[in-house]
Amino acid sequence: MSLGSSLQRVGAMARAQGETRFGADLGKPGDLFLACVRAESAPARIRAIDLAPALAIDGVVRVFTADDIPGSNRLGIIAVSKDHEFLARQVVRQPYQAVALVAAETAAAALAGARAVRLELTPLPGVYHPAEALAEGAPLVHPQREAGNLLASRHIVKGDVTAALAESAVVVEAIYTTSRLEHAALEPEGGRAEYIDGRVVVWASTQNPHYDQADLALFLGVEPEQVRVVQAETGGGFGGKLDLSVQPFLALAAWHLRRPVRLVYSRQESMAATAKRHPFVMRYTTGADERGRITAVKADLLADTGAYASYGLAVTMRAAVHATGPYLVPNLEVTCRMAYTHTQFCGAMRGFGVPQVALAHEGQVDALARRLSLDPLEIRLVNALGPGQATATGQVLGSSVGLRACLEKIGPIYREWQKRPPAQGRWRSGLGLGTMFYGIGNTGVSNPAGAALEWRPDGRLILYTGAAEIGQGSDTILTQLAAQRLGVDPGLIDLCRGDTDRTTSAGATSASRQTYISGNAVLNAAENLETLVLDAAAEMLDAPRQDLRLAGDLVTGAPGGEVPVRQVVRRLSRDRGPVKASGRFDPDFTALDPDTGQGRPYATYAFGAQCARVRVDTDSGMVQVREVAAAHDVGRAVNRRAVLGQITGGVVMGLGMALMEEYEPGAGDNLHSYHMPTAADAPRITPMIVQEPEDSGPYGAKGVGEPALIPTAPAVAAAVGDALGRPMRHLPINLERVMAALTPERE
Amino acid sequence: MELVFWLNGSEARAEEVPGHWSLLELLRDRFGLLGTKQGCGVGECGACSVLLEGQVVNSCLTPAWRAHGRRVTTIEGLAAGGRPHPLQEAFVAAGAVQCGFCTPGMIMAASDLLAHNPDPDQEQVAGALAGNLCRCTGYHDVVRAVRKAARQMVEDGS
Ligand code: FES
Ligand code: FES
Repeated sequence: MSLGSSLQRVGAMARAQGETRFGADLGKPGDLFLACVRAESAPARIRAIDLAPALAIDGVVRVFTADDIPGSNRLGIIAVSKDHEFLARQVVRQPYQAVALVAAETAAAALAGARAVRLELTPLPGVYHPAEALAEGAPLVHPQREAGNLLASRHIVKGDVTAALAESAVVVEAIYTTSRLEHAALEPEGGRAEYIDGRVVVWASTQNPHYDQADLALFLGVEPEQVRVVQAETGGGFGGKLDLSVQPFLALAAWHLRRPVRLVYSRQESMAATAKRHPFVMRYTTGADERGRITAVKADLLADTGAYASYGLAVTMRAAVHATGPYLVPNLEVTCRMAYTHTQFCGAMRGFGVPQVALAHEGQVDALARRLSLDPLEIRLVNALGPGQATATGQVLGSSVGLRACLEKIGPIYREWQKRPPAQGRWRSGLGLGTMFYGIGNTGVSNPAGAALEWRPDGRLILYTGAAEIGQGSDTILTQLAAQRLGVDPGLIDLCRGDTDRTTSAGATSASRQTYISGNAVLNAAENLETLVLDAAAEMLDAPRQDLRLAGDLVTGAPGGEVPVRQVVRRLSRDRGPVKASGRFDPDFTALDPDTGQGRPYATYAFGAQCARVRVDTDSGMVQVREVAAAHDVGRAVNRRAVLGQITGGVVMGLGMALMEEYEPGAGDNLHSYHMPTAADAPRITPMIVQEPEDSGPYGAKGVGEPALIPTAPAVAAAVGDALGRPMRHLPINLERVMAALTPERE
Repeated sequence: MELVFWLNGSEARAEEVPGHWSLLELLRDRFGLLGTKQGCGVGECGACSVLLEGQVVNSCLTPAWRAHGRRVTTIEGLAAGGRPHPLQEAFVAAGAVQCGFCTPGMIMAASDLLAHNPDPDQEQVAGALAGNLCRCTGYHDVVRAVRKAARQMVEDGS
């Protein structure tokens, strides 16, 4: 009934009617307005901060600096790498870092106050590229760190790469680079906070309310119970709302002033002050036998985390684990290092490093195909991982491995395209393929989710989940799963979501983990709720427990006939209080060996394959993506419409990564300079769903949020390379790069 | 300044409007019409789209005084007779609403398109919405929704 259908998205009509309240829409009369004072260039030593001119402005209530932070000024999602100073103390490490915070009676006074604060800064020597950062004698971003500018290093080894490369029929070697990207969720970060009875309550757009609560407590130096975080409706995240943004400022001001406050980032601030996608430099050496079977991969990856660690450790690890792609590779040696620089910090962005490495592993497979005169689709089918085969980390895959099925699904479309006549005149046409795999959930660590379900005396249910809905659809998916498990109409289920007082942690909405992990937690809660109701029914009806069943809104199997669930629930709630059961799920994993990187880091993987058809204008260098076909193995589509929407959204974001997006610190903090795809850039997309059910998934489901983006850039890059007759290894493939490729002697 | 205009079909009056205010500020901060969103504030995203005299404008770039004596329609004023507008229904049914932050602006821009072109093809819809950024949907379902609504409106004779 509920499952697999295209049930309308929960809350969609409210959004379409403009009734949904996002972080910026929560203001109330009497709120104070906040504005950040930011240092424009970095690195620099703070000699002095003169607050007096700001305090002299009418309406300015107070100006905070790092000295006003009662607790820790070192925040961050990963416990061992907390280093983010929300108000810089002594040193500014990245451009646009906040140094002071103004609270005022009006928005205009807050802004005027922020402009009036006088900063005296002394420039310090900086380092702006990861390779430079790791060189001897480089200026240190965090001088107290023992490892200097090296944030993380991960190593994965298997077999004997040197010997295997020496024996390979062909060996291809190349360097690939990707650029720093901005998430550019349409909603800029925003929120509101109040001080209520000794606690701070923060409403804000976020992907992880429970993490926010823990770090805000650290920041204020209070117990977590003294902070309540409620997720405001959130207008897109893509990883950009995993780190804290406005929340510490809101909490700090509300805590000190005991007054309600609000803060909404401007677009410029949103772009300049929040995380970016890590730029990667990737050197690959890949060997194959004469039939195109990969024999060995040696990959050396270097990434830039900017000034702060954020999700850097997770991205380093995930990039390493996925570096050889969804292929059977018997011998490999992958090293991934990440370095600090004095640039905008990088964090999680849709795919955690996997979109970056996909450019390289796909480019290498295409290079092998060219050298061996093999068909690009054929060589992928030859190497595709299958059930029972081992990944780079030695994890033997179970049954849900849909890569081959995805390739077979896009195959006929690709073959059709191959038959099309080439473009004429100034246009050149090209085709490309991309594949991916992606481990669902966090890498090699426990990452549980909780959930609860309550059956109300009026017959309706409440689903309690800490899982942040950010547009990806978890509200709908989790509702459908609960409805399916209990056999009730999804319309009977109300949601209580993302409130640290009322829901337990579901972990972050990231790593494509909520369908699989929170989905399983919801099923577990439903099972426990069923037990609760049937146990009570057995007692009430004096019936043998094992005969009783839930069938929609009835309990069946009692000798006296059916009884409405509502009757049981009423009785139960009268006698024992709310009829509520909780559930939990933590995926099965083993930690990776610190030296060899071997282990089972994820319980399951999503797979996908895409092909792209482009044409290139040789006069201007413009690339038009005409068509993309995208097949994704999601295990089981809980909601078809939602999966298809994730795929088309991922493809277009991937196309931006391939062709136009590149964040230039300082220069491009607006949507005019930062080009992202518009409706006019969107190609014709054929999204296709492959379902290879995952035994441990909720009704077989895995996830699709990030996977959809991953193969697009490699496929588009390959298609442009095909059109131009030379591989395109550096993103974005903008006009300059295309023109350079058209005049080889210039490069 | 004092402004008198037609807001979603009713007469509206606003006193002491600061001269530098945008129409977006007037709508959100004075009238509490929070369905109109600010994605950039400088005319680059379309989230703030409203109709001024039936033409779509970026309300963040439009001075508030331009509303004086004119008709302004926001997302809150689109539904009629207690029923959502066909565009709103089509957006929901086609899956064109993901996070929904771009949605009000998209729908306003689309309503302007359909007022001038009752049966737009794919390219015309994409062209008309090119000033409205969406980071979630890839536009695929948005374009489908607009064309679906167009057909519905022709059928309904609206
Ligand atoms: S807010 Fe007006 S165009 Fe972006
Ligand atoms: S639905 Fe999220 S920006 Fe369009």
